[in-house]
Amino acid sequence: MSLPLAEPAIETSSTASRGWRPSHRLRRGLMLPLLLLVAWEASSHLRLVDPRFLPPLEAIAITAREEIWSGDLFLHLGASLARNLAGFAIGTLLGVAFGLLLGLSPVAGRIAGPTFHAAKQIAVLAWIPIISVWFGFAETAKVVFVAVAAFVPVALNTIEGAASAPKPLIEVCEVLTFSRWQRIRRAYLPSALPSILTGVHLGLIYAWLATVAAEYFMTVGPGIGGLIIAGRERFQMELVMLGVVILGTVGFLLNHIATLVEVRLLRWRA
Amino acid sequence: MTVLDLPHRLPSRPISLRLLRPLVAGLRDFAVALLLPAVILLLWAIGSAYELVPQQILPPPIYVWENFRDMLAGGELLQHAGISAVRVAGGFAIGAALGLLLGIAMGLSEVVDDYVRPLFTAIAQVPTLGWIPLLMLFLGIGEALKIVIIAKAALVPMVLNTSAGIRGVPKAYVEVADVFAFTRWQKLRRLILPAAVPPIFTGIRYSLTKAWTALVAVELLASAEGLGYLLVWGRQMFWLDTMIVAMVIIGLVGFAMDKILALAEAWLQSWRIDG
Amino acid sequence: MSSGEIAIRGVSKTFRVDGRPLVALDRVDLDVAAGEFITIVGASGCGKSTLLRMIAGLEREHRGEIRHGGRPVSGPSLDRGLVFQEPRLFPWLTVAQNLALGLENARVDVAQKKRLVAEHLELVGLGGFGNAYPRQLSGGMAQRAAIARALVNRPEVLLLDEPFGALDAMTRAHLQGELQRIWDHEKITAILVTHDVDEAVLLGDRVVVMAPRPGRIARILDVSVPRPRDRRDPDLIRLRNEVLQELDAIKDAAPAALAS
Repeated sequence: MSLPLAEPAIETSSTASRGWRPSHRLRRGLMLPLLLLVAWEASSHLRLVDPRFLPPLEAIAITAREEIWSGDLFLHLGASLARNLAGFAIGTLLGVAFGLLLGLSPVAGRIAGPTFHAAKQIAVLAWIPIISVWFGFAETAKVVFVAVAAFVPVALNTIEGAASAPKPLIEVCEVLTFSRWQRIRRAYLPSALPSILTGVHLGLIYAWLATVAAEYFMTVGPGIGGLIIAGRERFQMELVMLGVVILGTVGFLLNHIATLVEVRLLRWRA
Repeated sequence: MTVLDLPHRLPSRPISLRLLRPLVAGLRDFAVALLLPAVILLLWAIGSAYELVPQQILPPPIYVWENFRDMLAGGELLQHAGISAVRVAGGFAIGAALGLLLGIAMGLSEVVDDYVRPLFTAIAQVPTLGWIPLLMLFLGIGEALKIVIIAKAALVPMVLNTSAGIRGVPKAYVEVADVFAFTRWQKLRRLILPAAVPPIFTGIRYSLTKAWTALVAVELLASAEGLGYLLVWGRQMFWLDTMIVAMVIIGLVGFAMDKILALAEAWLQSWRIDG
Repeated sequence: MSSGEIAIRGVSKTFRVDGRPLVALDRVDLDVAAGEFITIVGASGCGKSTLLRMIAGLEREHRGEIRHGGRPVSGPSLDRGLVFQEPRLFPWLTVAQNLALGLENARVDVAQKKRLVAEHLELVGLGGFGNAYPRQLSGGMAQRAAIARALVNRPEVLLLDEPFGALDAMTRAHLQGELQRIWDHEKITAILVTHDVDEAVLLGDRVVVMAPRPGRIARILDVSVPRPRDRRDPDLIRLRNEVLQELDAIKDAAPAALAS
């Protein structure tokens, strides 16, 4: 798993010479993780800890290789990503539409806003049991839950963005005799875009977590979450750890992709 | 002089009207806000009264209400909510306190930050949902698991906001302190800590929200008590009324915690601007 | 054929601040001839910006009447361009796209639109910057772009609300010269609101001096100095001193007026 090592340092007035810093920081940064890994390897080889709890790193690598060679890993990962994307797409579309409606129409905002803000307080995971009652344990329920998870941040940020178009620019629209539709297209939508993208970005992360959570609870069919739960039930620590690493890595990659897309779409900003 | 003259000319009559107007507007907004829930409730009641949806899928609202009353009267609801509250309080206190200390250390010392941040980032990168099954194998499904999971969830935002808050003290102020030749300690006391209070408070707010979400997750996956368990149990028994009650309580508690902290934050901010 | 004359008759406006009435404008009368350059100068709070926003059609709640080319002003119109103190360029559009906004509701075809945008970029000296984003421009360049956006659909009247107030002295002096040139080139009516007395006498055919509490016109001075003008011209300096004296007199009179 890659670690973001190059956090930009904030200048303080303490130390002066910094020419050697990057490699120095890298060395410092790697110290603790390496120590931890060495301690891990040592304690599992020296039997200080039951290797069933702390399997040596190579055991995890072997499990990973087996899972990859048999194609199981891709099966699980593919299934997870597919339902992740399906739910994410549905949740995002509905979230943007709902958010624009509430953000652009004061009447709709006053009618549905408070209900939405109250409902969003329910921790999203708490929806799982009731969704599984309504939609069963199969694919539909999972996709619905992922969609709900993506919907909340997307709608929330879209409402905020659409409602907060800068007044000075709206006045320019007025001077240029723009119609309501022209104002929405020229001022409200573009100025809401950064906020909408933030929502979509959050939605992507939430959707991924929701995918795994849905697979934990509704363990029918392949998926990374199901893999982890199966590993736990069979007490296969290597499998659990492999699953958790994949869970973190996919989340990291999705986050990275979202950031790239955001920067690309918001080039006009400083 | 002109400014001082003005208050004498303040008319006293419109005050009652002025106070009344926002009240009336507030009441109207409140009524409008209740419109949609009322419609939903009505449709729900009609739907279940005419059995448009089976009762196992959607029990009539009156059942949910009666169930809520019974669970409240029987003490069951308070018992589960209490257990959840104790877990959150414990995990949050540990996580936020550790996070505050670690965040201060990382914010003040670049050396500490260089050493700790990569490992911290790696740990933070694995979501709470990933840690639960892993730690279930190490810690079993007892209280320790819940406290550790909730503490970890609370720790991460606390560290991030505290260290960023301390690092983010505006350079212009640091220069003022330099001009007055403040010592390290004076800088810390007079400048860095006061300036870091708002971001730290934001961290507390995020921490508590994350702790609450983590509680629901861990109780759903591994618990025999608490609000999350109530959901799982309701699911197994097909008691939708119990599940809906549990969901509403989870939402209300989350809402109340966030509201209280938001108010405290606003109060803190206004105090900072005035003072 | 409509024209660029503006007639203001008995315009009054009262705001409510904390439930108390505040007279922003008190029975203002003013006639602006077509092609004239009027500058309005006054201390803050004299209602000069409010008056300009009324002429633009942004403020519609007032007593009295404002006519443009004989027709009452009932809202914003493409016949009157407005430049704000801040450039107010749309940050997600390039400079050329920002100019094209001004043509969005004009009846011109695509080719004409392109030509007009290019022409006006040249007019304000931004020929090579059509594809730049607002954040890449300096304050002075951004304000030029804003002026071009207000002019691009060839309005009859150009309204400017302290357009150079936020710029440094050098840039401001330069843009004042540019504005004179543009006004001369376009042959339109211009009304400029400012708190800078030098700017007012340098640019205006007439200078309207306004007084606060209640906002009203205190005096109107003719500036009969031929153009192009030099800011060191002794006649201009004499006029400037006269305006400053007038403003001082207003300031000294204010407490007395309030006490009465």
